[in-house]
Amino acid sequence: MIIKSLPTLKNIKRTVKTGSLLLSLLVLLPFMKSQAQTPEAAENWKVCAACHSLGSNRLIGPGLEGVTERLDQEWLIRFIRNSQEVIASGDEYAVALFEEYNKIPMPPNDFSDEAIIDLLKYIETGGQVAPEYAVAEAEVAEKSPELLRLEAKLDARDQQLSELKRDANRKFGTTFLVTIIILLVVLADLFLTKVIKARFVHITILLVGVAIIAEITYKEATALGRQQYYQPDQPIWFSHKIHAEQNKIDCMYCHTTAEESMHAGFPSVGLCMNCHNVVREGKITGRTEIDKIHAAWESGQPIEWIKIHNLPDHVYFNHAQHVAVGKMDCAQCHGPVEKMDEVMQVENLSMGWCIDCHRTTEVQFTNNLFYEQYKKLHEELHAGKRSRVTVDDIGGNECQKCHY
Amino acid sequence: MEKKYWQSINAYKAQPNQSLFEKQPLKEFTVDGLDESEVKGKSSRRDFLKSLGFSVGAVALVSSCQMPVRKAIPFLNQPEEIIPGVANYYASTFYDGHDYCSILVKNREGRPIKIEGNELSKLSKGGTNARAQASVLNLYDDARLKNPMKDGQNTDWETVDREIVAKLNALKGREGSIAIVTGTVISPSTTSLIKEFVAAHPGTEWVMYDANAYEAIRKAHKAQTGEGIIPFYQFDKAETIVSFGADFLGTWLMPVTFTKQFNTNRKLDKDKQNMSKLFVVESNLSLTGSNADERYTIKPSEEAAVLLDLYNKLAARSGQATYNGPASPIDTSEIADELFNARGKSLVVCGTNKLENQLIVNAINYILGNYENTLNTRQPIMLSQGSDEAMLSLVQKMNTGQIGMLMCWNVNPVYDHPQAEQFIEGLKKVDAVVSFADRMDETASQSTYVCPDNNYLESWDDAEAVRGYYSIMQPAIRNIFNTRQAQDSLLKWLGSEQEFSAYMEQYWETKIFPYQSAFAGFRPFWTQAKHDGLFDMEVESTNFAFTPIELKAEKPSDAAGFELVVYEKVAIGTGKYTNNPWLMELPDPVTTATWDNYLTISIADAESQGLLQEDVVSFGNGLELPLLIQPGQAKGTLGIAMGFGRSGAGPVANGIGANAFGLMQINKGLKVANQAGITLENTGKKYQLALTQSQHTMEGRNVVKETTLAAFLQDPASGNEDQKYKEKVAATLYPEAKFDGFHWGLAVDLNSCTGCGNCVISCQAENNVSVVGKDEVRRHRIMHWMRIDRYYSEDADNPKVYHQPVMCQHCDNAPCENVCPVAATNHSSEGLNQMAYNRCIGTKYCMNNCPYRVRRFNWFAYINNPKFNFNKNSDLGKMVLNPDVTVRERGVVEKCSFCVQRIQDKKLNAKQENRKLEDLEIKTACMQSCPGDALVFGNMNDPESKVSLLMKSKRRYRLVEELHTLPSVSYLTKVRNTSKA
Repeated sequence: MIIKSLPTLKNIKRTVKTGSLLLSLLVLLPFMKSQAQTPEAAENWKVCAACHSLGSNRLIGPGLEGVTERLDQEWLIRFIRNSQEVIASGDEYAVALFEEYNKIPMPPNDFSDEAIIDLLKYIETGGQVAPEYAVAEAEVAEKSPELLRLEAKLDARDQQLSELKRDANRKFGTTFLVTIIILLVVLADLFLTKVIKARFVHITILLVGVAIIAEITYKEATALGRQQYYQPDQPIWFSHKIHAEQNKIDCMYCHTTAEESMHAGFPSVGLCMNCHNVVREGKITGRTEIDKIHAAWESGQPIEWIKIHNLPDHVYFNHAQHVAVGKMDCAQCHGPVEKMDEVMQVENLSMGWCIDCHRTTEVQFTNNLFYEQYKKLHEELHAGKRSRVTVDDIGGNECQKCHY
Repeated sequence: MEKKYWQSINAYKAQPNQSLFEKQPLKEFTVDGLDESEVKGKSSRRDFLKSLGFSVGAVALVSSCQMPVRKAIPFLNQPEEIIPGVANYYASTFYDGHDYCSILVKNREGRPIKIEGNELSKLSKGGTNARAQASVLNLYDDARLKNPMKDGQNTDWETVDREIVAKLNALKGREGSIAIVTGTVISPSTTSLIKEFVAAHPGTEWVMYDANAYEAIRKAHKAQTGEGIIPFYQFDKAETIVSFGADFLGTWLMPVTFTKQFNTNRKLDKDKQNMSKLFVVESNLSLTGSNADERYTIKPSEEAAVLLDLYNKLAARSGQATYNGPASPIDTSEIADELFNARGKSLVVCGTNKLENQLIVNAINYILGNYENTLNTRQPIMLSQGSDEAMLSLVQKMNTGQIGMLMCWNVNPVYDHPQAEQFIEGLKKVDAVVSFADRMDETASQSTYVCPDNNYLESWDDAEAVRGYYSIMQPAIRNIFNTRQAQDSLLKWLGSEQEFSAYMEQYWETKIFPYQSAFAGFRPFWTQAKHDGLFDMEVESTNFAFTPIELKAEKPSDAAGFELVVYEKVAIGTGKYTNNPWLMELPDPVTTATWDNYLTISIADAESQGLLQEDVVSFGNGLELPLLIQPGQAKGTLGIAMGFGRSGAGPVANGIGANAFGLMQINKGLKVANQAGITLENTGKKYQLALTQSQHTMEGRNVVKETTLAAFLQDPASGNEDQKYKEKVAATLYPEAKFDGFHWGLAVDLNSCTGCGNCVISCQAENNVSVVGKDEVRRHRIMHWMRIDRYYSEDADNPKVYHQPVMCQHCDNAPCENVCPVAATNHSSEGLNQMAYNRCIGTKYCMNNCPYRVRRFNWFAYINNPKFNFNKNSDLGKMVLNPDVTVRERGVVEKCSFCVQRIQDKKLNAKQENRKLEDLEIKTACMQSCPGDALVFGNMNDPESKVSLLMKSKRRYRLVEELHTLPSVSYLTKVRNTSKA
């Protein structure tokens, strides 16, 4: 069954698409190298901009106006690459700075010397990209429509795929109705109007029609209580695409307990605030969505997310078993979440789907001491009688592995 | 060898046609109120329309159903130690003024859901009792007060505080006008706080009051040793134990500790070939009596004579003074012999609250040299400090109008004082009565102010149940309601800004921390103490001096009529727990009755009076109760359980049974739980009791096996002789079941099981087992996954009793599995008999085919059903449910799963840590907190595991083995230390 998401955020979705186009543009740029401040420096600056301004005003860290005059280049390179190391070495200036800014560590940056020098130039000029690149940028922008389209295609592939599936599902209703009408017409013709004389035509159409109806009924009936393609609107327009794909944040950074608990865990507002304390403005939604986090934080009202992947109450599912022990990738069940702005349930999470996977998935049998208890299976593996042990082989498909 | 075992009087007399004692099962369906056509099974036109309407409705419903939107609400700020989906355990203490256990509280998502025994405790050693197990449900009791009350109306804390402080100040000039009545306080920091309060209000009287008192033990010791103590009894060091009406395995003082101790000396294996011998002399058949090797029945008034006779026999042998007394109604020479032979290694205990009886008991223990051997006077028991005399004098003062303010804390004298009427009269003359009750109980409803105390799982406190053994109570959940810990109330009224948690910490830092040497700083010490929940302190030795004084024994009562004994039930206790449906439905270990109290009467008396089981009789001051004919009840005595007849406990308890506290008598300033001269009058009414034992009969098969110690020493397989034959002839057409990896098994040592019922409640809490209520129990529909069968044998007037826990036997050739039409029950590769609820269609074929009667059917939806208004029908009560276990729907069969959720959990832990699963790592709920260590669970594929070793024992047998069901549960024969076969 399909749960329709309310189309309240249509316009935002459109913005997302434009945004991703712009971003992919930026991704294409770094192949151009030069002595002067390159667009790459502008890209790198975005990391810095979370805590520093180009002027003299303080944010989380100091304003960087005139920093290249205050400090020598070699020191700056060391500090930008790994500030904590410099502080630990006992450097007076660094320690004083650290103390002054409430001991908030500046994260290390894996930049090359050239990139840092480049970045410093960018800062020096107050955020100017060298004029030669400005032209190049414009050219790239002009050149790229087909490239962009390709990128967009790749990006949107998974989503389109799921959308197609959804649409296909939706059409069942019309097909169903049309088939019924045809059947009725045929029946009427068979008994009343008798326009078509050959009876086998009626019978063939009737059989095909009944088969179609049966198929649709079966599909719809099995989908009852399942939520494939479920994609509700969340209280905050949170994009996994931006966080997981573009910012490359690991799933486990937010879903912290996937390796230790049955629940993967929803991030607390406090966890959001780790970054959004500083990142106050989104690329797509501006301040509106991020402000909701701050509002929650300030009012003490937790955010009520809508749970997408639901299992019936009589099913016990444990993330730790699958992620920590089974070493499964999140995407195996959750699909390409990093491609989704709004998360959709990709798999149907049916029992058949679980069991199919258990039948084919190999257990980490020889590299976990726990499984040593299975003596017979180990013997068989040694003797070459079997090449692998699947979850099914150690009873993974028995009722009380999931139902108790 | 063929001994006859029986479960009920009916079976004993073998009069199947004369169902005097048991009801025939009621018909499941009656035809009352149905149309003729419906009875005949023909459907009419209206039926057709009805079913048409139903199917159309059902289709419309199904097609329109939308999945509900489910929300996930994460923390605002993730607490470091809480991981949703992973249980936390906090060490705490269960103490309610009467019972003590050191416990671990299992928390899931911030909710306490299960109580486990704390294995670090040297007192309770990982054991609990049914009350401790069920106490978690008291936390989620809807009858708890949700706000402070003034004159029966909700109010707020500011008002209450302001007015009480004003009243306290007004009373400052009147010395002795304030009285605090508490239960026994064993908390050192609370004691210190109360003393501070008393000091701040000079002349304040602090009275400790116990509903069921053991004060005579203290008084006797005061008279003979100068110290009013209850010595710490050491049942593990005693080879011969004699109990005079002290139900130390069930209810007396510290039953969990005593059961642990007692059973260390009852285990038999290759290395340990001897066990203690237990004599019990009593009137009612108590849990301890049912575990006795030798049991004698006497009337309560004869006890002193028996004791003095025993004393004289022993004194004569050891050259001590003897005293004249009435003749003993029983021959005590065997007891005397055994005691004398075990001098210094024997123990005599007595449960009667009479000074002269306790004096004789002490004298016996003294001449046997038991003091400092089996009675530890250096570290006495701190429980039961209540003083009946002080309470009586307080009642007097109240009646003369001397008391201006009375505080009742953890006591309910309006309900449980023998002279409750005088107490109530007195209450009316007190200006302000302050109650700390957690509910509007009998006393609270007559109080001016009720300042509801927290549940113990929301509170800070400490406890010293035995001197030197400290334990800590700490909150496992924030206050659910607008309640306040009583200690915090006192602090507030003292004008202190401090919270009790800080007060207690300060107390530990100044008073306890200096006595240890393991930690240099207080912080690490305090952290460790809170982690373990315990701290054991060395206690300096004291000079123990025993001064023999003259002993007397009253002549047995010659009043006509019955002698009545008021006893404490294992589940209900003194009545604090009557609103707990788990405990109400826990079958009494001996009578197997649930939900009621009743009058137990001996077979001979019932016959001579022409009374039948379930006849309602009136007695005492117009009390009416049904009769239960109890084998083993002393002739001429009646038994009645305290704790019933509540009016202020809550909807589950109110109005059930009769209040027996009024039948207690004050004798020389002591509350004595018996009364002579009771006559019965048949009212002609009948009342059906909800008994469970005869519901699961095993048709006379040899299911309990026993032997005597002497026979066991000659042949460990004695009593179990048919085992060899059964194994020899076992043949089957089925292929032998083979298990790779794990094959779970459970061994039950019948010699260690006392039948206390802890496992039943533990299982109920762990597995979300439903409460079905009295009516459904009468219909044989109790849902417990685990039951404790009770069998009698031999002499019906004083039978031998057997307790046998029976749960799903997880047969490898399970008869239930073959008959399920939908394969909802089948066998796992780990030897578990699995039950898939979502697959079950409710044919009940499996139940019919199970020879052990362990499967339960959900006749109704027991959740969200106002007809079953217990914990599963309220949002609050549902908070106790274990989120790892499915709540079963109507129409499905359920049964013991060997706590599969625990198996899976521990397996996962081992996998995550990349290691092998340890033996005894998985503990089923029944096994974890068993005070007798009677159950051992483990992997039978591991030859070194404890369960495998037990399976090799010659005492091992399986139930109804001749059916070749190959159960994974095995039993070890019961060994009785008796000379008589």
